[in-house]
Amino acid sequence: MGIEWRIIQREWRLVMARPGEVLKPMWFLLLVISLIPLALSPDSTLLAEIGPAMIWVATLLAILLNMDHLFKDDYSEGVLEQWLFWSRPFAWCVAIKLLTHWLFYILPLILMTPIVGLMLSIEADVIAVLLVTLLVATPALTCFSGLGGALTLGAARSGVLGVLVMLPLFVPVVILAAGVITRTTDGAGVGPLLALLAAFSLGAAILMPLAIAAAIRLNIGGST
Amino acid sequence: MAWRWFHQWGSPRWFYERASRWQAWAGWIAVILLAVGTVWGLAIAPVDYQQGHSYRIIYLHVPVSFLAQALYLAMAIAAAVLLVWRMKLADVAMQSLAIVGFAFCVLALASGAIWGKPTWGTYWVWDARLTSMLILAFLYLGIIGLRSAMLDPNTAGKACAILALVGAINLPIIKYSVEWWNTLHQPASLTLTEKPAMPASMWVPLLINICGYYAAAAYLVFASMRGLVLHRERRAQWVRELVGAHD
Amino acid sequence: MTLELKHLHCERDDRVLFRDISQCVKRGEILRVAGPNGAGKTTLLRMIAGLFEADGEVLWEGAPLSAIPESVLYIGHAPQVTRELTVQANLQFLSGATLEAVRHALQAVGLRGYDDSLVRELSQGQKRRVALARLWLESRPLWILDEPYTALDVEMVAVLDQRIKQHTQAQGVCLLTTHQPPQQLDYRTLELGHGH
Repeated sequence: MGIEWRIIQREWRLVMARPGEVLKPMWFLLLVISLIPLALSPDSTLLAEIGPAMIWVATLLAILLNMDHLFKDDYSEGVLEQWLFWSRPFAWCVAIKLLTHWLFYILPLILMTPIVGLMLSIEADVIAVLLVTLLVATPALTCFSGLGGALTLGAARSGVLGVLVMLPLFVPVVILAAGVITRTTDGAGVGPLLALLAAFSLGAAILMPLAIAAAIRLNIGGST
Repeated sequence: MAWRWFHQWGSPRWFYERASRWQAWAGWIAVILLAVGTVWGLAIAPVDYQQGHSYRIIYLHVPVSFLAQALYLAMAIAAAVLLVWRMKLADVAMQSLAIVGFAFCVLALASGAIWGKPTWGTYWVWDARLTSMLILAFLYLGIIGLRSAMLDPNTAGKACAILALVGAINLPIIKYSVEWWNTLHQPASLTLTEKPAMPASMWVPLLINICGYYAAAAYLVFASMRGLVLHRERRAQWVRELVGAHD
Repeated sequence: MTLELKHLHCERDDRVLFRDISQCVKRGEILRVAGPNGAGKTTLLRMIAGLFEADGEVLWEGAPLSAIPESVLYIGHAPQVTRELTVQANLQFLSGATLEAVRHALQAVGLRGYDDSLVRELSQGQKRRVALARLWLESRPLWILDEPYTALDVEMVAVLDQRIKQHTQAQGVCLLTTHQPPQQLDYRTLELGHGH
C-alpha cells in the first residue's frame, strides 16, 4: 500500500474516530455569523452588504482555529518523526497531509457557506461567487495555517501564537477574494482576479510544503 | 583568504571588537547628519503651499518608513544566511534587526497618524502606505513573538528565519494587493509622501535625514548585536575577562 | 564494515554532550550505548538516526545514512502510536503491512486479539509492545532502539531479546540504549560519560 494512500486512510480513520473535530469549526462559523445580526442590526440589506466579508473573515478564523490538528498531536506522540524514515520525501508527505486536511476539515466548512449566506440574506449569485473564492483560496490558507502550526510545534505556549503569526500573511488572499465579490456585485468581470487568486494558491501549494517540512524537521531536531 | 574572512565573521569575539568601532562611527555620523538635516528641514526649508508647516513631519516620517522596510529586507537576508551557512552571527543580526525594525515601524505609524490629523482631519485613514506599514508591524511582531515563545534558542532562530523568508516573499504581494485595494475603494485620495515637484531646498535635507536615520539604525543594530553576543557568549573566557567576572 | 560513525560531536546549551565519537559497527553486531542520565544517549541515537543534522559523519555501507532513511527503524521514547486509532490502524499506517502480517506480529508481542482495540485503552506496557511490533513487520537493516525494555515484563524482554538475536543473525545491525545490561545478548558497549 502506497504511503500517500496510507496517509489519506489514516486521516479518514481519525475523522471517524473523532467526528467532533470536523464539526467544531463549522459550529464556530455558525456561532460567529449568528452574532453579527445581534451585534449590528437585523436589517437585511445591511447584512447582505457586509455578509460576504463577514463570512470570509469567520471562515478564515475557523481555518486557523483548526491549525493545531495538522501536526501537534502527531508531533507530541512521536508519530511525525517516523515520517522521516519513509522512502518518500518528507515535504511530499506533508503535502499529502495538507491535502487530506483540506478535504476532511476545510471542505465541509466551505460547504456551510450557502447556509450562513442565507442567514445573512445574501443573494444566490453572490453566494455562488463567495463559494468559488473560498474553494480557490482555501488551499493557500490551509498551507499558511500549516506553517503556523509547524513553526510553533516547539513553542512553550503555542495556543494563539500560530494564529497571530500567520494572519498578516493572509492579507493578499483576503483582498483578492473581497475584490472578486465586490466586482460581482458591481457587475464587472472577475476572471483575471480569480486567476490571480488561483495563482497565489498554486504558488502556496508548491512552496509551502517545503517550508512546513523544514519547520517540522527543525522542531524534531530541537526537541532532543 | 575567503575562508578566513568567513571564519572571522563566525567568531563572536572578532565581531564584538570590530562592531564597537563601527557602532561609534555610525553613532557620530548619525548625530552629525541628523543635526544638519533636522535643523535644515524644520527651520530653514520653505513652507509647503498646500499643507503649511505640518508637512515638516516628513523629515521624520519618510526616513523611518524607508528604514522599517529596509530593515525587514536586511532581516530576510540575515535569515537566508542563517539557513544556508548556519552562521550564528546571522541569528544575532536577525534578532536585533527585528526589534529595531519593529521600533521604526511603530515610529512610522505614529508619525503617519500625527501627520494625518492636520492633513485628513483624523488620526487614522486606511491609506495604502499606512495599511502596508501596519501589516509590516504585524509581521515584525510575529517574528519577535515566535522567538520569545520557542523553548530551544537554536530552533527559535531557524524557525524565525523560515518565517522571515516566507514573509519576505509575501511582502511585495501584500504591498501591491493593498495598493490595488486602496485604489478600488478610495480613488485619487491625497497620498502622504508623493510630492511630485519638491524643490531642492525641501528634498536635500530629507535626503540628509534619510542617510542620518540609516546611520542611527546601524548604531542601534550594532549596539543590540553586541549586547546579544555578550549574552550568548557569557560562558566564554573572553567575555568573563571583559566584564571582569571571577569564578 | 557497515555502520560507520566518524567524529560525532554534540553541544547543547554551551555544554559538550559528547565529542569525537568514532565507531564501526559490523553486520550482525549489537552496540549498546550506556552512560548516566543526561550523558547524551538519546541525542546520540537521534543524531545517528538522522532526526537532526549530525556534526560529524554517519555512513552506511560507505554512503551517508541520511540519504537512505528508509534503512533505519527507529523506536524512541515517545509512544509512536496514536491514541485514538486502533492497534491495527496504527501498525498498518506505520509499516504499510497487510492485516495478516499485523495479526502475526501482534501474536508475537503477546497482543493477540487486540487488533481492534484503541491504543488509549491499553496499558503502558501494552502500548510499548504495539510500537515494538514493528520489529516483526518491517525489514530494515539498521535498528535504533532507545530504551526498548522500558515498561516491559520479563516475558516480553525475553521475546524482544530473541527478536534482536534473529535480526543480527540475519546480518542486521542493532544500536540500543538500556539501563540494565541485556542478559541474553552479545554486545559491545559504548560508554558515554560527562564530558566524554
